[in-house]
Amino acid sequence: MKYLLLLVVSVCLLACSDSKPAAANETALPAENQPVAKKIQPSEGCFLGAFEADKYRETEVDYYLSNKITLCVDRIAGDSVFGHSVVAGNSRPFRGIVTEKSEVNLTVVAQEPGDDPYDGAFKFVLIPGSDSLAGIWEANNQKLAVYQRKYSLERRVFSYDPQLDLPERVKWNLLYGTGNPYADAGEFLTEAVTTLNPSKEKLTVSQVENMYRGDLEVIRNSIYARHGYSFKNRKMRYVFDHVDWYMPYSVDVRDQFTPLEKENIALISRYEAHAARYYDSFGR
Amino acid sequence: MGMRSSAVKDMWQKGMGGLILAAYAFFCYLMAGISAQYVSLAPDVAFLGIKQDYVHLGYYRLAFFVHAFTALLALPAGFTQFSGFLRKKYPLLHRRAGYLYVGVILLLAAPSGLVIGIFANGGWSSQLAFCLLAVLWFVSTLQALRYARKRNWRLHRDFMYRSFALTLSAITLRAWKYALVALFHPPPMEVYRLVAWLGWGLNLALVEIWIWKNSGRAGSLFVWFGKKA
Repeated sequence: MKYLLLLVVSVCLLACSDSKPAAANETALPAENQPVAKKIQPSEGCFLGAFEADKYRETEVDYYLSNKITLCVDRIAGDSVFGHSVVAGNSRPFRGIVTEKSEVNLTVVAQEPGDDPYDGAFKFVLIPGSDSLAGIWEANNQKLAVYQRKYSLERRVFSYDPQLDLPERVKWNLLYGTGNPYADAGEFLTEAVTTLNPSKEKLTVSQVENMYRGDLEVIRNSIYARHGYSFKNRKMRYVFDHVDWYMPYSVDVRDQFTPLEKENIALISRYEAHAARYYDSFGR
Repeated sequence: MGMRSSAVKDMWQKGMGGLILAAYAFFCYLMAGISAQYVSLAPDVAFLGIKQDYVHLGYYRLAFFVHAFTALLALPAGFTQFSGFLRKKYPLLHRRAGYLYVGVILLLAAPSGLVIGIFANGGWSSQLAFCLLAVLWFVSTLQALRYARKRNWRLHRDFMYRSFALTLSAITLRAWKYALVALFHPPPMEVYRLVAWLGWGLNLALVEIWIWKNSGRAGSLFVWFGKKA
């Protein structure tokens, strides 16, 4: 009975919303609907991986060479394809058509709306029923620092899990290493950064008061990362793009925080602000 | 030749005096800037941002703001007292500035310092350091006052040296912190625990050594709480 109901809902969605941006549908859909949608149309779903620079200008430093992207094929109706992508704090819908259809795969060409300076066109191949999607993206504005990107993504269903800890390797992140002109002077990560999970436990003053600002910033942002926040902040992308469980899924997650997380964010923010302003100044 | 060398020495002394005065004025200015942050009396400004567990306590807030606004006065009031010129030429000024210095510390700055020391960041070690600082500041200033009233100028001077060494910890604590962070980049609470002791301990040790060398046993640590001159 429940299965039937979900089926009806899915069919209804297929039938009555072709003009709305697909992104709105995706965020409105509860996660439990996704497996059903997958059964009906195995090409649909979200795919996660690196959005790598393919063609770019050499004049810039290499900070932009790769960002983690979630690319969702929200609906395929006949030859029409609706979807959206979330990358670097930007969620953009796209729509396109199936240009080639063979026994084994679909080739899709799709455009972003074009009213954002970073919009462009996707061309990708997906194998229905498989877990991978690969292709290129070309910027509308060919003068962008990176005007073509490539990607080879794997299927992933987003789910929030407060138990996810930061992996050990985070503390070795090159973000704060020497030679990165975008890291703030004097900032780096230490062993302490992987010791606290503010989505799981109530943090105390004594746990955070001795921490460096860089560690605090990453610990606080781990809450955002667990909720699938796509970071505009480049430093945070450096850290979290390398965390396996991290999936950029939304550009605003503030209404998703648990009361525990809100308290921890408030506590950490106070110490972060204090460290930023007073740590290396004449004062306390 | 002798004339010239004494003129050079005189110029050197004046230059050094001017330099010390300028440096002291600069640090007093920095301290005034720190106090000025709190004029809004907002319960989350600056240092209070990381005292949120205690700011709901009325007596903590009272002690904090009293300390932030009054302890500052001890710096200029105390500094003038070491000038032999002022002492001889304007004894009344010396006495009035002295009462301002003593009054600010005994009635306002040291008691409020003790209260906020009880709630100091960094655990028992820095709590002990700041409470001890407040007690020694109070005792040394009180003893200096008592010996002045008894006209025992040597012990008055010795205790004023001690008192002022502790007053200067307002500057030296923050200067140590600045230097240690710039040099070693330690975690914030570790540097705090360290300067809680270093900020006044070294000043006081230097003054005690000086007093001991100049006054012998009579000027040693044993006179701290003693009544006899």
